[in-house]
Amino acid sequence: MSSMTIGGSQLDASWFLILGAILFTIGAAGVLVRRNPLVILICIELMLNAVNLTLIVFSRQLENIEGQLFALMSMTVAAAEAVVGLAILVDIFHVRDVEDIDELSELKG
Amino acid sequence: MSTSQLALAVLLLPAAGAILLAGRGWRLPRIVTQIVGPGVVWASFAGTLALFFSNASGDFTYWTWIKSGSLEVPFNLLVDNLSIFMCLVITGVGGLIVTYSVGYMEHEDGPSYARFFTYMDVFIFSMLLLVLAGNLVFLIVGWAMVGLSSYLLIGFWYQRRSAVLAARKAFVMNVIGDVGMILGAFVLFVTYHAITYAGVFKGIAGPSCPPPSLLVTCFRPIPTDSGPLELAAFLLLVGAVAKSAQLPLHTWLPDAMEGPTPVSALIHAATMVTAGVYLIGRMHPIYDLASYAHGAVAIIGAATALFAATIAIVQTDIKRVLAYSTMSQIGYMFLAVGIGAYSAGFFHLLAHAFFKALLFMAAGNVIHAMHDEQDMRKFGGLFRQLPRTSWSFLIGSLALVGVIPLVGFFSKEQILGAALSKPDDTLALAVWVVGAVTALITGFYTGRMWWMAFGGKPSPERAVEHPHEARLVMLVPVVILAALSVVGGFIQMRALGIGPSAVSDFLASAVGPVRWEEGGGVVMVGLVTMVLAALLFLAAYRVYVVRSWKAWSANVPWAQRLLERKYYFDEIYAAVFVRPMDAIAGFGMRDIEEPILDGAVVGTGHAAVVGASSLSLTQSGYFRNYVLVFVGGAIVAAVLVLIRSGS
Repeated sequence: MSSMTIGGSQLDASWFLILGAILFTIGAAGVLVRRNPLVILICIELMLNAVNLTLIVFSRQLENIEGQLFALMSMTVAAAEAVVGLAILVDIFHVRDVEDIDELSELKG
Repeated sequence: MSTSQLALAVLLLPAAGAILLAGRGWRLPRIVTQIVGPGVVWASFAGTLALFFSNASGDFTYWTWIKSGSLEVPFNLLVDNLSIFMCLVITGVGGLIVTYSVGYMEHEDGPSYARFFTYMDVFIFSMLLLVLAGNLVFLIVGWAMVGLSSYLLIGFWYQRRSAVLAARKAFVMNVIGDVGMILGAFVLFVTYHAITYAGVFKGIAGPSCPPPSLLVTCFRPIPTDSGPLELAAFLLLVGAVAKSAQLPLHTWLPDAMEGPTPVSALIHAATMVTAGVYLIGRMHPIYDLASYAHGAVAIIGAATALFAATIAIVQTDIKRVLAYSTMSQIGYMFLAVGIGAYSAGFFHLLAHAFFKALLFMAAGNVIHAMHDEQDMRKFGGLFRQLPRTSWSFLIGSLALVGVIPLVGFFSKEQILGAALSKPDDTLALAVWVVGAVTALITGFYTGRMWWMAFGGKPSPERAVEHPHEARLVMLVPVVILAALSVVGGFIQMRALGIGPSAVSDFLASAVGPVRWEEGGGVVMVGLVTMVLAALLFLAAYRVYVVRSWKAWSANVPWAQRLLERKYYFDEIYAAVFVRPMDAIAGFGMRDIEEPILDGAVVGTGHAAVVGASSLSLTQSGYFRNYVLVFVGGAIVAAVLVLIRSGS
């Protein structure tokens, strides 16, 4: 039950989960260590898609369609998030060039 | 105009003047203040004269002020011969003094000038309310309001710290008396279920008496329940003692001399301080029955008379000498009403109003001429340079000593004669001895004051070489009072057994007739006393001007010190009351208020500030920090979930 048939070949589900975990970790590490705001946004997308992958894998494995629906929802939210995030960035770039996210620290306490 | 309207007009005219001056006075030209200030008092005097000549009397109720259960407080004015007598003194002498102030206060700037006359008119109104009130509530209202005006006027020069402290002292002392008055009124109300004089006295007289025609009650020989009566009498006496600066609540009066001199003349000599005498006289149905309280009145009066006179011997401030002299003379009045010689006490009140207001205003002229110097040691030799003031002062001094035929002789002799000849009363005899000794001391200290200020050669310390005589507006009232001091005695020559006795006849309907006649030899004793007093007045010349006689104090330095420190009353009060209170208040401030109450409030705010500022350190503004915390939190949450699902 831990394997799935994809395109005629049998693959163990844990591979997909490992891939999702790797993608998520890359994304999280990217958010943490990269300075460029655009790259950070891309890393967030990576994390979201890693989660989507995990959702779909479990959906297939447990034969429960809700997981796939949730992935669709998540993609919608991700699109909205990308729009808002990019809009903010574009606005900031209108004012000044930001190469390092640490330059945006005016709201510190 | 009916009598009731006239009485109301007499009362309200000074109030109207005060309101006008308080509202607009400082914006109107100075002449308006000069006319309105004394004018309303004179108008009131005219109204009082109309009441006097129409033989008016009655108890007029205008409206009910408070009605609550069995308590009904009307606003009623009692017009009888005693209140008319007091109104004549207040508005007559008061009018002269307020007129005098027009000149005395002229150096004040506009607002202060109007303020002074506002306060003076408020005082006259309050004093009239005190003596015209027909019930205990309005008596107390007037009683407190004269205390307030006294406070305002003592502290008139509020830039001076000493004046403000003196005003505060007077107010505190007077409030002690007010508390006594209020408690006394409570006792009377609880006992007799009435708050008007008429109701209370009817309750005291009992149902067997005919309804009192005004306030002369019939006398019950043996009171059945004198306990509450004695209590009420003693409590009212506390009020009288505080207001009239008698022992032991007298310490405020000498300090009250910080006020302007017309204030000293009006409030602290002629009128307000005699309110205690009025109170005892007004309440005479109570004191006639409350024999212990009545005796206490006489004892306090005699003790104060002697006590204050001895202090006056060593004072060097001319106004303070007069202040102690005032205490001493009011002691005489207390002595008189305390032994039941009411009309003698009131005659001395009238006489004292004449000559003491005269002395104060003449002293004010001297102080003006000396550029606000009050120390008699720095006067000397003023007789030639200020002849009119000096003559007036001399007449006042001799009246105070009791030189025949000035008014002081007749009034003082009547008191002492009444005390000496009261039948079967050892207390009266004892107070006579004290009173006679005081009369002698009065002669000496008055002589000292006169010779030091006016006699001899100018003191080397005198600042003003050629003093100027006062203006006419300040001289005329002084001269009028001097004339009254000369002729005033002839309206009441009972002391000599001849001539009229206008004052005691006039007051007989209010305080009762003279209860006993003086014996024949008593007049001789009085004459001898007064002659001795006059000789002591002259003796002071040899002690203080010629200095051929050694000053008495050289032999007894300790006595001089005792007197100069005023028997250490201020020091004792400071040690017994003021400093413990200060200590308690300081303890509360230092050890309760500041660390505990204030500490809690301030601590709460401080904790909020410290907490917020330390929490704000987490808001670094760096995106990666937030993400790190977020990811870290997610990891911790994930680990916790794993641990839980694993167990």
